Amino acid sequence: MIPLWHRLTDRRAFLGDFATGVSALALASLLAEQGKLAGETVPTTTPRRPHFEPKAKRVLHVFCTGAVSHLDTWDYKPELLKRDGQPMPGVDKLVTFQGENGNLAKSPWRFKPRGQTGKYVSDLLPHLADLADEMCFLHSLTSKTNTHGPGECHMSTGFALEGYPSIGSWVTFALGSANQNLPSYVAIPDPRGVPQQGPSNWTNGFLPAVFQGTVFNADNPISNLARPKQVSPQTDVATRDFLKLLNEEHLKRHPEDSELTARIAAYELAARMQLSAPEVSDLSKESAATRSLYGLDDRNPILAGFGRNCLLARRLLERDVRFVTLFNGAFAMGEGALNWDGHRRIKSDYDRHGPILDRPLAGLLKDLKSRGLLKDTLVLWTTEFGRMPTFQKGTQGRDHNPMGFTAWMMGAGVKSGFTFGATDPFGHKAVDNVLSVHDFHATVLHLLGLDHEKLTFYHNGSQRRLTDVHGHVIKKILA
Amino acid sequence: MKNHLLLAALALFPGVGLAQSPGADAEQTLFRDSVRPLLSSKCVGCHNATKAKGGLDLSRRQNALKGGDTGPSLVPGDSAKSLLLRRVADHEMPPSNPLTEEQSALLKKWIDAGAFYEKEPILPAINRAGADWWSLQKPRSPVPPTVREKSKVQNAIDAFLLARLEATGLTYAPAADRLTLLRRATFDLTGLPPTPEEIEQFLADTSPHAYEKLIDRLLDSPRYGERWGRHWLDIVRFAESHGYETNQLRPNAWPYRDYVIRAFNQDLSYPQFILEQLAGDTLKDADFLTQSATGFLVGGAHDVVGNQTVEGALQQRMDDLDDIVTATGATFLGLTINCARCHDHKFDPISQKDYYALQAIFAGVQHSERTIQPPDLAQRRAKAADLRAQIQRLDRDLEAYEPLADPAAHKPMRAAVSSKRNVERFAPVEARMVRFVVLATNNGIEPCIDELEIYTTEATPRNVALASAGAKPSASSVYPSNVYHKVEHINDGRHGNSFSWISREAGKGWVQIDFPTVHKIDRIVWGRDREQRFQDRTPVRYRIEVALDPAKWQVIATSEDRRPFDPGRPTASIVPEGLPATAKKQAEALLRQRERLQAELTQMMGTQAVYAGTFTEPGPTHLLLRGDPVRKGEEIAPGGLSVVSPKFQMDRKTPEKERRLALARWLGNPDNPLAARVMVNRVWHYHFGQGIVSTPSDFGANGDRPAHPELLDWLAGAFVKNGWKLKPLHRLIMLSNAYRQSGQKNDKGMSIDAQNRLLWRMTPRRLEAEAIRDSILSASGKLDLRMGGEGYNLWEKNTNYVTVFKPKATLGPEEFRRMIYQFKPRSQQDPVFGVFDCPDAALARPRRTVSTTVLQALNLLNSQLVITQAEFFAARVQKEAGSDHAEQARRAFLLALGRTPSATEEKAAVALIAKQGLATLCRALYNANEFLYVD
Repeated sequence: MIPLWHRLTDRRAFLGDFATGVSALALASLLAEQGKLAGETVPTTTPRRPHFEPKAKRVLHVFCTGAVSHLDTWDYKPELLKRDGQPMPGVDKLVTFQGENGNLAKSPWRFKPRGQTGKYVSDLLPHLADLADEMCFLHSLTSKTNTHGPGECHMSTGFALEGYPSIGSWVTFALGSANQNLPSYVAIPDPRGVPQQGPSNWTNGFLPAVFQGTVFNADNPISNLARPKQVSPQTDVATRDFLKLLNEEHLKRHPEDSELTARIAAYELAARMQLSAPEVSDLSKESAATRSLYGLDDRNPILAGFGRNCLLARRLLERDVRFVTLFNGAFAMGEGALNWDGHRRIKSDYDRHGPILDRPLAGLLKDLKSRGLLKDTLVLWTTEFGRMPTFQKGTQGRDHNPMGFTAWMMGAGVKSGFTFGATDPFGHKAVDNVLSVHDFHATVLHLLGLDHEKLTFYHNGSQRRLTDVHGHVIKKILA
Repeated sequence: MKNHLLLAALALFPGVGLAQSPGADAEQTLFRDSVRPLLSSKCVGCHNATKAKGGLDLSRRQNALKGGDTGPSLVPGDSAKSLLLRRVADHEMPPSNPLTEEQSALLKKWIDAGAFYEKEPILPAINRAGADWWSLQKPRSPVPPTVREKSKVQNAIDAFLLARLEATGLTYAPAADRLTLLRRATFDLTGLPPTPEEIEQFLADTSPHAYEKLIDRLLDSPRYGERWGRHWLDIVRFAESHGYETNQLRPNAWPYRDYVIRAFNQDLSYPQFILEQLAGDTLKDADFLTQSATGFLVGGAHDVVGNQTVEGALQQRMDDLDDIVTATGATFLGLTINCARCHDHKFDPISQKDYYALQAIFAGVQHSERTIQPPDLAQRRAKAADLRAQIQRLDRDLEAYEPLADPAAHKPMRAAVSSKRNVERFAPVEARMVRFVVLATNNGIEPCIDELEIYTTEATPRNVALASAGAKPSASSVYPSNVYHKVEHINDGRHGNSFSWISREAGKGWVQIDFPTVHKIDRIVWGRDREQRFQDRTPVRYRIEVALDPAKWQVIATSEDRRPFDPGRPTASIVPEGLPATAKKQAEALLRQRERLQAELTQMMGTQAVYAGTFTEPGPTHLLLRGDPVRKGEEIAPGGLSVVSPKFQMDRKTPEKERRLALARWLGNPDNPLAARVMVNRVWHYHFGQGIVSTPSDFGANGDRPAHPELLDWLAGAFVKNGWKLKPLHRLIMLSNAYRQSGQKNDKGMSIDAQNRLLWRMTPRRLEAEAIRDSILSASGKLDLRMGGEGYNLWEKNTNYVTVFKPKATLGPEEFRRMIYQFKPRSQQDPVFGVFDCPDAALARPRRTVSTTVLQALNLLNSQLVITQAEFFAARVQKEAGSDHAEQARRAFLLALGRTPSATEEKAAVALIAKQGLATLCRALYNANEFLYVD
């Protein structure tokens, strides 16, 4: 059957409401292969071809909120072992986000070489460390801000301010969805709650609402997905039939109106999603081995909950959902933050948070690999910034550090077992191949076949981009 | 943005690709009009004499022929051999923005004709608009043109529009029928559907002025201010929380919303509206709402997270100021001044200096609540004092059930410490100072106390610890640089973590209160967090001592006679444990009474503080190099944009208030070329779905050009002439035949102007989130039209440091008010209607997107709100139409869609009611396209 979108001929919504003038041109380039614009009339999730041949068809973005310490996970600094307890050389009085810093502090976890590449990764995340050969480490990321909220905005939207579209929105705006029965962009919050910056992490910003992330996790379904209790299945069908009649009568009076037709189609889509979304969330058919791989059998209910989210992520990716963001870590709440914000006692904090992430995510990555999904799925592991090589004065925790931190990619289009960029010997500042978040985003778009300078949308005075006016594709990490 | 420049180039040189006539003249024309601008804007930026990327300089013919590193670029007469054309055709050059086919063809033609240059060198194009940019010129007073179809001209608007349409071979669509017009006008002006009575009344009015009377009635309705006030709130990014990671609430921001609604309803003159929003605090005789108007300045996001780094804290301050400059520039001038924060504006003639001149105007504005006298201040104060006295009497009665503290005892006689609230009763003692010494906390870290209350033995006990009673606090130490935890918070009368003291010593510390005179006291009340969010940092071992002389302290209470702290029961009841049953019952009754009084008291206090900013005399403002807060450039004096006349510049020492007043006067000056144009265009935008300039907050080079420049100027002129009043402008627009057209399409219109920029028909529009919610409630008969005051809240109460938004499980009549009265946190959308492209108020939204999503369908079909309202709707129809199914169907259609059903529809509706019940029909109607769209 020809998708409904392609039968539409009215350009009003497209050129009028959705994108006036200039931005229509911007999208026009995305639609160039169709030869004409007539086919695409309303902002939809119809699949679209990228600017050039992509390496990745979909993205799994793992976002560990609260700022994971690179020095206790991926960025091995032997110098810290030597100088543990000594002042950081060359720094007089070091003031960071929360105040004064004390002396350099080695990681409480041992680093060991892993796999064929011998990459040093800490014992905090043993299961993930086993996969170091698959990862492409970026040790020289920098952020524009040292504060969580703006930092999460920056990582999720390219801007340290609120209100800009998230990367998942940009991607679905550009590429649409390959599965019309499920949302094209899913944000999966941690079992402990939503991240500190909340919906700003999956907002469509000024892009049309159709591109916003749909929020659900393994334990909380899409809101209003289910038929209400008061309504019987027969009544529901009768309602829809009558609605169809009403809309058809209305459409007769508004011939060839693409917005109205799109709305009729949205109801058909909703009906299909009511079937497919519960199916994708139903983990009961997964084998015991798979459930164990993801840690669903763990005694720690948060670990098991995050494991269910990981498993849900795989099921979504399997069904060609374009962009899945998996959050690990929730908002902060007084002492004992529910995320990676280890200000006071990095050891006890991370001993709690590490296992929750480790086994389930490692399970997911192994599963993606064994199912062949890593071939065309790009995995991103990020956090909003790193932490200091020193302990904060009077504590056993580390303060925020936006001047150097680690992210990694894995899967489609990137080198595996590869390390790019470096921080100084203490892990304080990025010094080698310094990267911005914009570079990171430009590279993600590139792997999806998108030119980050061409993917634009007009808003309040500018053709806005995910990468603002910055960003260079990190060519050296491309496979 | 590059695409845009390209467009601009094409617009400036409409002859592109069309120069056909042969000969030298034609070549010259081709070069001058088409090739030079193309080379200038697309090539010479990199390939010029000084830069010469790849060794290539295209600014002079000679050098172009010589070529660059890869060889000659131009072979005159042979485009096929010219490298330049190959690179262009392969889309290799220009690198980020390939030329169009037409542009390539143009270059080919030019090379084949000999690659003629006229004036050398070609300079790189400056793609910035100049001072001669259209929107910066004073509006002209154009005379409405004459048109052929004079009968279609109702007023000047029609003359301007028809002249353009006729020139294009188009004309207006047939007039809309009266019912359509009624529904359109009612939604446009009030955001609500017409009621059956209004429909009947309008259809029955056969006088020639029926439509005019309708417009006047709607403009007079208080619903008008609610509708257009909402538009304004979009433009000014109004929200009721700080945004960013904590997203803490601003429970006192709503008076600004009420101010806006009133301003529209009163049809305040626009310069006055500007003045009040920028400087309402400075105006004499300004009442409560007018003083709240400066909520505009601080309406945006504000990062409250304490940042100890100098650059971090400065960055936050600069972001705050940037938000104000951005909002002011976009709202009143339609300019994106914020683009000049780091460098001169790339597209508009706005220098970085201009940006900082404007920033200097706001340099004294602080994000904060300001105490404003509510209209009924005197009554409130009296009532509050009375309530406080009642509560204190109750407290004493309640606390009489509490055993006395015994500093000598060493076994548990009293209740365990509660994180929430603890009472210490002791034999009356005279004191000049009281000290609370913490010896241990429940989790070993620095102790926190949110308030220390010390009561006299008088018949109506007074809390003499209060700063307002003259008491002075001091402490052993205080948590470093934190806005929430200060010594002064220990006796400020405010409760909760955000107004507390924390020491800087792990597990210990003391805090002391000194009275101005000796007081006889017998009771102390303290807690860690009366709002019960936090349980950490609770002092579990402590002693309280009093003294008349600082050398002689006397211990009056300790934790030694309390039961051990029980973390499982941190919020112990105010009623002591272990009371006999009757005493317990009495105590509980007292407690309930106390809670009622406390709630009442909160209401008496709540409206005095308004989130409308505070103002301090600012220090010097500096230009910041690259916008970097730590790289100061020259000092900048407050002023306006240098390119916008009349000139407006102030002395650097100008007092803070004067700065804002002067800015307001400059914006509202009739000679300001932008203010009136921008505002009339906004009104046009909301009436027709798109503005004459389709980018309502961007009248710069990157924005849209006016589709009808003369009409825009004429409207601006009419607006000013009518005293800058909006209601006459609405009237003018809505009485035009342009507005009264139907939405009927025709092939010619669609082929020439599918976007309907020329207005050859009325484009149907989807309702906004607010209008949809309000319409649902209106049809069900449940819409509560109470105006003003604190909004209703969709979210469970929450005072967490990082606000957690949990939607209320069920919504009741309290939440059935119009959506403009819905408490609106930033970035947090209404769970049902947010997906209808509702702005999240993180940024200004002068033009909403319209999209169609599956979640919209799911929310309208399945949300509890819609299902419940469908039931109410059905009950209403049942009541009004009786039990006959056909009558019911007709009534339901009329209430939801403003019309009766067709025969087909009625038949189907009757069948549906018979089989599935009336509520099913109502649910379907709420989901109908027609319900969501206005023709």
